[in-house]
Amino acid sequence: MLTGREIISTLEMLQNEHLDVRTVTLGISLLDCADNDLKRFKDNIMKRITTLAKDLVKVCNQVGDKYGIPVVNKRIAVSPVAVVGASFSSSQLVEIAKMLNDAAEAVDVDFIGGFTALVEKGMARGDRELIRAIPQALAETNRVCASVNVASTLAGINMNAVLRMGKVIKQAADLSKQKDGIACAKLCVFANMPQDIPFMAGAYLGIGEPDAVINVGVSGPGVVKKAIDRSLGSKGHIDLGRISEIIKRTAYKVTRVGELIGREVAENLNICFGVADLSLAPTPHVGDSVGEIFQSLGLQSIGVPGTTAALALLNDAVKKGGAFASSHVGGLSGAFIPVSEDLNIGKAAEEGHLTLEKLEALTSVCSVGLDMVAIPGDTSEDTISAIIADEMAIGVVNKKTTAARLIPVPGKKAGERAFFGGLLGESAIIAVNNAKGSNPFIRLAGRIPAPIHSLTN
Amino acid sequence: MNKIVISVLGQDRPGIIAAITRALFLADCNIENVSQTILQAEFSGIFIASIPADQSAADLRSRLETALMPLKQHVYVKYLEYDKGDYPFEESEPFVIVTKGPDRKGLVAGITEVIAQYGANVTNMQAVFEGGDDPDKNIMIYEVDIPTQIDQQKFHEDLRNRANELGLNISVQHRNIFEAINRV
Repeated sequence: MLTGREIISTLEMLQNEHLDVRTVTLGISLLDCADNDLKRFKDNIMKRITTLAKDLVKVCNQVGDKYGIPVVNKRIAVSPVAVVGASFSSSQLVEIAKMLNDAAEAVDVDFIGGFTALVEKGMARGDRELIRAIPQALAETNRVCASVNVASTLAGINMNAVLRMGKVIKQAADLSKQKDGIACAKLCVFANMPQDIPFMAGAYLGIGEPDAVINVGVSGPGVVKKAIDRSLGSKGHIDLGRISEIIKRTAYKVTRVGELIGREVAENLNICFGVADLSLAPTPHVGDSVGEIFQSLGLQSIGVPGTTAALALLNDAVKKGGAFASSHVGGLSGAFIPVSEDLNIGKAAEEGHLTLEKLEALTSVCSVGLDMVAIPGDTSEDTISAIIADEMAIGVVNKKTTAARLIPVPGKKAGERAFFGGLLGESAIIAVNNAKGSNPFIRLAGRIPAPIHSLTN
Repeated sequence: MNKIVISVLGQDRPGIIAAITRALFLADCNIENVSQTILQAEFSGIFIASIPADQSAADLRSRLETALMPLKQHVYVKYLEYDKGDYPFEESEPFVIVTKGPDRKGLVAGITEVIAQYGANVTNMQAVFEGGDDPDKNIMIYEVDIPTQIDQQKFHEDLRNRANELGLNISVQHRNIFEAINRV
């Protein structure tokens, strides 16, 4: 018998605190679709995706209805296109991106990830062509997401790729300048990119993964905030050790929801279950914000002194609670701080509490990186590459995933607003130091060696 | 060894359970299951016990009535029946139905009528009725075994329509979600 308290508190999380399954992502291996004939290659992929994913949306909705938990997004992640399409030119790869977009529309998923290259140690021909294709591929599709892993703790930082990505981001912004550079919102540059992320834009299916796999991304920043508020409200003062405990317990509950839904979707589709990614992923709605958690913890705003310590506590507690809840945790797993996707974080940037430098500091303890950061449109390629390089260094040295999703908004300056719409949100454009200049350091290129793994003082 | 079901109902006061269990002990009965609750000031208890072959339900009832008379409790005794009678066994899944809305007469009757029409079995009910119009102070929780063979969509739709007629918000969720979230 369930207790009334168990039932009512669960309903409260679902109905008033925005607990949901943010995404169920079907990973599909395309490795055996490879063909050097473009038409055959495209046909193979279209057939594979529309066969495996034809019931994905229906089953997610059925399972969501059964448990009263909305599965907000249904998505697909495929094998890195730079690998399976290594024989094609950049213009042919743009055609492949359009076909992926068509496949996503055919099965009614909102995003398809995997227009991806893994180049942390060097670029092969297919990688170079794919990176060259990214701006046009993203500008001319709505649902395709791209990602490039340019660094890892074991390989170091491929500065040639970093330099190239600065240029790619500028081109992508320019090709989508009518929509504030929205193509860049579908492009992540990574260090230590996990193979099983269910969240976009970084989702792709790793080479070590099976034919098909269901990964699930849960969310729930509103649930964590309310749990903290309730404890502080009822007890007045509780110390940070106790708050960590409350966040852990809440993360446990949130992750259990994801695991339950993911496993049942996987079972119904007769596909194996992969991982639960227990991230706190905000949306641009009041009450579904990571930024609001900092205010509940007593900070004036995310970005003021104390924020890094608070985020470290939050991120660690989320991981601990989630790891206990699921036997297979993966993806990014932690707290996201996407500026435009979180009303509260966007406001902090607008009011000057949150600068690019402080965001960079926060990424040393959060689960991702510089995420959905709108920067002035006249920021130079060199400066964008340099920001990426700094972000990659944080990930490589700290043995963690970091990423940069930067949007240089064409024709707009710091302080103006950029509008991306939907879950991508809107935000003030953040100022960048020395935005326009060249950067001779970045142009030295080459590869920054992997960090030493001993003498870790 | 037969099994017997004893139901006791009356105003709550000290000593009721002591009197029941002593009478059962003296009749050489062994208690196997107990469910007991107090609603407002009213005691209610159900006991299942094994009873020796040489004892009858009527004798036991007489012993219990004697023991419980000073405590002003009503007693009912019957043998435990194992066959399901005309209630067919159907494969089912456990769901939790919760309604919230302003208190008025007929809410439970209205919802359970739909539940019964589909052959779903209420296995547990809990209520928070504080009166007034605040939905959060007027909550009904039904744990229900829903046959897997019925048209689930139609069932949910009928429940939602009935809830709308009664001015209630309703949710219907598989029980596992509550277990997954709340229990280690």
